[in-house]
Amino acid sequence: MTYKVQVDDILRDATAEETAAINAVKAQDKAETKAAADKASARQAVLDRLGITADEAALLLG
Amino acid sequence: MPNEQVKVPLFAAAEILTAANMNISAGTGVPVFTNSTTRDAAFGGAGEKVLAEGQLCYLSDSNIVQYYSGAAWATVGPTSSALTFIKSQAIVAGAVTFTMSNAFSATYENYLLTAANLVISGAGDQMRVTLNGTSGSTYQSSFININFSSATITGTVAALVSTGVSMGDQTAASTQISANFYSPFLTKASAINGQQSNTTGSRIFSGVDSNAASSTAFTITMATNTFTSGTFYLYGYSIT
Repeated sequence: MTYKVQVDDILRDATAEETAAINAVKAQDKAETKAAADKASARQAVLDRLGITADEAALLLG
Repeated sequence: MPNEQVKVPLFAAAEILTAANMNISAGTGVPVFTNSTTRDAAFGGAGEKVLAEGQLCYLSDSNIVQYYSGAAWATVGPTSSALTFIKSQAIVAGAVTFTMSNAFSATYENYLLTAANLVISGAGDQMRVTLNGTSGSTYQSSFININFSSATITGTVAALVSTGVSMGDQTAASTQISANFYSPFLTKASAINGQQSNTTGSRIFSGVDSNAASSTAFTITMATNTFTSGTFYLYGYSIT
């Protein structure tokens, strides 16, 4: 996929090096999003096992 | 002969205009006072001009020129600012990355970047800042997102090795950003921190680039969307 990059007032196609950097950002963002979703799922699973809500858990830990 | 005077004379009809009179009025052009106390005492007394709107003066203790507005004295100059505008750049719609080149120099050590009404093409994104286009393991950053409607705080509060300093989760809504860049031009590690906000919430972010190479440019990369509109403004913090 060809990305567009803006350098000062010029909009142009990304170079190979720029494309690699953009893809690295996208990959990391995807990994972080997945990690956050996995963490949320794991947290919800624990809450479900305990039979309490997130607010109730916060009260217990607070 | 010093320029400082203690009165601003008012000449009466048929009065003899002496050399001393001329030296104190026309000689200095703008009346010069030692300080604001002698300035205030120089008007309105016997044989002195009544202070009126438009009067100018120079104060030698503070090296400033002032004018009288009719109600108060105000400083004309010289003005000094801790913050100096360097450059601005409007967004060209459609780019995944935005780079401002020739942004950093030896003139300043630290910089302020602002953007008002920045719009991106979609929600659920995260912007990352890099210096001189470098990416990789030299960056660490963390951020928190504060959601206004749900009153919740989320984010990556622990440091992470990143492809740039994250500016927090982004929405498509118009966003205001302010970010400080610390020593990007110096051959030292650099730091970037700041905040962004829009109608849905605010984000506070902070990060470092351990790469000691001097940088003259920065790049902001969108993770999933593209820039739509807005303008970035860059300022330098005075080092004197």
